[in-house]
Amino acid sequence: MSGVGPVEPGEGTHVRDAPSAPRPRRGPLERYFEQHRRAVLGALLISAVLAGSGYLHATRPRPESPPAPPHPSQVTTVAYLNPQAVDVETDPRSFSFGVEVTVESDPPVTVTRISQPYAGLSVTSDPRTPFRTKAGSPRKIMITMRVTECGKVPRNVGLPFLDVTLRNTHAIQMHSFILGPRYAQDLSHALQVACSNDFR
Amino acid sequence: MRQRSLIAITAALAAGALTLTACGSRDDDGGGSDSGNGGTTVVIGVDAPLTGDLSALGLGIKNSVDLAAKTANKEKYVEGVTFKIEALDDQGQASVGQQNATKLVANDDVLGVVGPLNSSVGEAMQKVFDTAKLVEVSPANTNPALTQGVNWQKEKVRPYKSYFRTATTDAIQGPFAAQYVYNDAKKKKVFVIDDKKTYGAGLAATFTEEFKKLGGKVVGTEHINPESKDFSAVATKVKNSGADVVYYGGEYPQAGPLSKQIKEAGAKIPLVGGDGIYSADFIKLAGAAGTGDLATSVGAPVEELPSAKEFVANYKAAGYKEAYEAYGGYSYDSAWAIIEAVKKVVEDNDGKLPDDARAKVVDAMQNVSFDGVTGKVSFDEFGDATNKQLTVYSVKDGAWGTVKSGTFTG
Amino acid sequence: MNELPQQLVNGLLLGSMYGLVAIGYTMVYGIVQLINFAHGEIFMVGAFGALTVHLYLLPDGTSIWVALPLMLLGAVIVSVLVAIGAERFAYRPLRGAPRLAPLITAIGLSLALQQAVWAFYPEAKSKLPFPQIEGGPFSIGGATIQTGDIFLLIAAPVSMAFLAYFVMRTRTGRGMQATAQDPDTAKLMGVNTDRIIVIAFALGAVFAAVGGVASGLKYGQIDFKMGFILGLKAFTAAVLGGIGNIYGAMIGGVVLGVVETLATAYIADIPGLDKFGSQSWAEVWAFILLILVLLFRPQGLLGERVADRA
Repeated sequence: MSGVGPVEPGEGTHVRDAPSAPRPRRGPLERYFEQHRRAVLGALLISAVLAGSGYLHATRPRPESPPAPPHPSQVTTVAYLNPQAVDVETDPRSFSFGVEVTVESDPPVTVTRISQPYAGLSVTSDPRTPFRTKAGSPRKIMITMRVTECGKVPRNVGLPFLDVTLRNTHAIQMHSFILGPRYAQDLSHALQVACSNDFR
Repeated sequence: MRQRSLIAITAALAAGALTLTACGSRDDDGGGSDSGNGGTTVVIGVDAPLTGDLSALGLGIKNSVDLAAKTANKEKYVEGVTFKIEALDDQGQASVGQQNATKLVANDDVLGVVGPLNSSVGEAMQKVFDTAKLVEVSPANTNPALTQGVNWQKEKVRPYKSYFRTATTDAIQGPFAAQYVYNDAKKKKVFVIDDKKTYGAGLAATFTEEFKKLGGKVVGTEHINPESKDFSAVATKVKNSGADVVYYGGEYPQAGPLSKQIKEAGAKIPLVGGDGIYSADFIKLAGAAGTGDLATSVGAPVEELPSAKEFVANYKAAGYKEAYEAYGGYSYDSAWAIIEAVKKVVEDNDGKLPDDARAKVVDAMQNVSFDGVTGKVSFDEFGDATNKQLTVYSVKDGAWGTVKSGTFTG
Repeated sequence: MNELPQQLVNGLLLGSMYGLVAIGYTMVYGIVQLINFAHGEIFMVGAFGALTVHLYLLPDGTSIWVALPLMLLGAVIVSVLVAIGAERFAYRPLRGAPRLAPLITAIGLSLALQQAVWAFYPEAKSKLPFPQIEGGPFSIGGATIQTGDIFLLIAAPVSMAFLAYFVMRTRTGRGMQATAQDPDTAKLMGVNTDRIIVIAFALGAVFAAVGGVASGLKYGQIDFKMGFILGLKAFTAAVLGGIGNIYGAMIGGVVLGVVETLATAYIADIPGLDKFGSQSWAEVWAFILLILVLLFRPQGLLGERVADRA
C-alpha cells in the first residue's frame, strides 16, 4: 500500500478562536429604547399580562361536555329474516322479504330511506319510510321489490346489499347493509321467478 | 475460457444474491413496555414488516400493540401480570415470518402473537403457532382461506384452531368493492391487475367474480412483478383496453406508481384497490394523479367511532413517531383480545398462570368479547371477527376521504 | 388503436436506462476483468446525491430547469467519489488476488452501500419523492412521451456519443484501449494503468449518475434498493451486448428493455401462452433470450473487448 496519509496535527497546533467582533454601534432602535425606556417597558408588561391571561383563559378547565351520541350506523343492525309470500296475481314482478331493524343504544334512529343499488329494481317498504326505531325494540320491516326492467337486473350476485339512510340526533348517514348469503340466494331465486318467461 | 467461467460463476452468484437478500433477517427488539407491578411477565409477540416498503403499516401495528400493553399495565388490568411486547420484523416475507414464528414459540413467556400484516406471511406462520398451541391474532390478514380453508367458496373448514383475526375477509371486501364500482361509481369495464401474492390475487379474484355477476365486463387482466417499478407496458395495455376503471389487488408500494403511470399513459380512469393501498404513502407515491382513486378498507371510519377517537388521542399522547395507519385500531384490539384471554385464564386459576397457559389462552380467545376500538370484538367459529364493517375511501385533496360504509350482517 | 409504437417507446426508455448503467459494468470489466456488482449502488447513490442537492442545498421553489443541471452535477460528484473510493479502498488492495475475492468484495460493498443509505440518509427507510419536470406529455407519431422521460431520451445518446469520442479520440481513451488489450505491455509503454483504472471507474459512475437522475425523474421516487434489481438487469444487458464492449452495453440494454416490454404486451395474445404473458413473466422471457444468445453467440451480440471495436 502506498500513499501518504493526512498529516497529523503536531503538539501545540490548535484552532484559534476567531477574535470576537467589535461591539456594533448603537442602532436607531436602541436609541429609541434609551429615550422611551418607561413607555417601552410598560407596554411590554401590559402585553405580557394580556398574553398570560389569554393563555389561562384558553386553557381553563372546562366541564366535560357530554359524549356525543354515536353515529347511527354504529348502533343499527339490519338483519335478513326470510322471504314473504306475495300475492302473485296482483303483480307477478314483485316479491317481498322481511328484515329486522335493531338499534342497540339511544338515541332512537330514524330510517329515512331504503334503496338498493341495482338498475331495474324499485324498492318500497312497509312501514313506509321514514320510521323510527328505539333502542331495545326491534322492528320488523317488510321490503317489497319490483322488477322494472329484467334486462338490467343482475341474476346471481354474491353479496347484494341494501342502502339504508339513517338519522339520529347526531348525524345522517347512508350505510350499506350486506345481508349475507341467504339473502343473496333468495334474491336471485326471486329475480329468476320474476323474470322467467312464464308470464310473458 | 477463464472469462466465460467467471461470467457463469457471477451469474450464479447474482441469482444467489437475489434470493439471499430476500431472506436476510433483521431483528428489531420492540420498545419494551414499562414493567413495575412485579409478578409474572407475559410477552405479546408482534410480527409485522418493520422495515422495507410496507413498514408504514407494520410500524403502526407494532406501536398500537405496544400502546395496548402499556394501557393494560397502567390500569393493572390483569392482577399480577405485566405485559411486554417483543416485536419481530418479517419484511413482508413468508420465510422470515416463519422463522420469527419459531422464535416466538421458543420463548415460553409469549402467550399470544399479534400479526402479521401480509396474508402470505400469515399462511406460513399458522402451522408453527398451531402446533405450539400459541394464539395468533392478525389485525390485517384478509385472505378468506386463512380461517375458512382453501375451499372456502364451497365448504368452509377451519384449518387452524389457534388463528384468529380482527380484520374482515376479502370474501366480503372484494364483492363490496365490486358493488360500489359497478352500482355507485357506474363503471362497467374493468381492467384487473394483481401482484400474484396471496392477498392481492385473492382479493382480485373475489372482486372479479362479483363484478362479472353484476354484469360488468373484464376487458383485461395483468399480473405485475412487485419488484418492478416500470409499469409502462402494463399502463399502455390498460389504456388500449378501453377500460373505465382499474382494479388492483396488491399493496401501496406498487399501487402508487401503477396509478401514476396509468394516468401518464393517457388513461384518466380511477384505480381501485383494497385495504393494502389504504395508506397515506399511496397518495405520496401516486402524486397528483391519484386524485379520484378509491380504496376499500376494513372497519368503519375512525371519526364515526367514539372508542376510536380515544385510541387516536392516546396514541398521540404516547408520542409514537409513526402514524397508526390502516390497522392501528385492529392491532390494538388484537392485542387487547389477547390481554382479555390472559385475564380470563389467570382469573380461572386463582390469579396465577397455569402450566398449560398457551392452550388455555387459545380456548379463552374463542369466547372473548369486549368493546374495542373498532367496535364489538368477538370471534366466530372460524376465528373471524364477528364485526364486519367495510368502508370505501377516495383520494381528495391529497388525503383519503370517506365515501360510503357498509356492514355485513349475514 | 395500435399500441406497438407506444410499447416500443416504453421499451426504448427502459432499455436506455439499463444501457446507461450497463456501460459502467462493461468498462470496468473490459479493463480489469472485474464485475463490479456495487455498480447498481453507484447508480443509487447518484440519485440520492441529486435529491440531496434539491432538498438541502437549493432554496425551496427553485425552478426545475435551474435545479436539474445542479442536481445532475451533485449526482455525478457523489457517484464518482463513491466509485473512486470503492476502487481505491476495496478493489485496488485485491488487484493481485484470485478473481473471486474482488467479486465477493463487490457484493459485500453493494450491500454495505445499500444499508448505509438505509440507515443514515434521512427518511430513506421508505421511498422518497423525487422532483418532477412540469408540463404535459408529448405525442409523437402515435406514442406519448412523458416530460420526465425527455431527459433520458436526450441524455442516453449524448452520453454514448461522448463516450465514443472519449475512447476513440483522446489520449486517455487510447490508453484505456491499450490497458484493456494488455495491461502489462501498456504499463511498459508508459501508460499509467492505475490512473486508467480509476478513470474507468469514474466514467462508469458518471453514466450511472445520469441514469440515477433519469430514473428519479421518470418514476418520481427513489429508494435505497433501487440499484439492486436495476444493477442485475444492467449486468444482464452488458452480457447480452457482449461484456467489455461499450456499444454492446447500450444495445444490450435497449434489446433487454424492448424484449421485456413486448413480452408484457404481446405474449398473452399468443394462443396457449396466455398464462405466461403478464408482466411478472417478462423477466423470464428476457432471460430466455439471454440464454439463447449466449448459446449461439457466447461472446454476446457485439462481441467482447472494448479494444476490438472501440
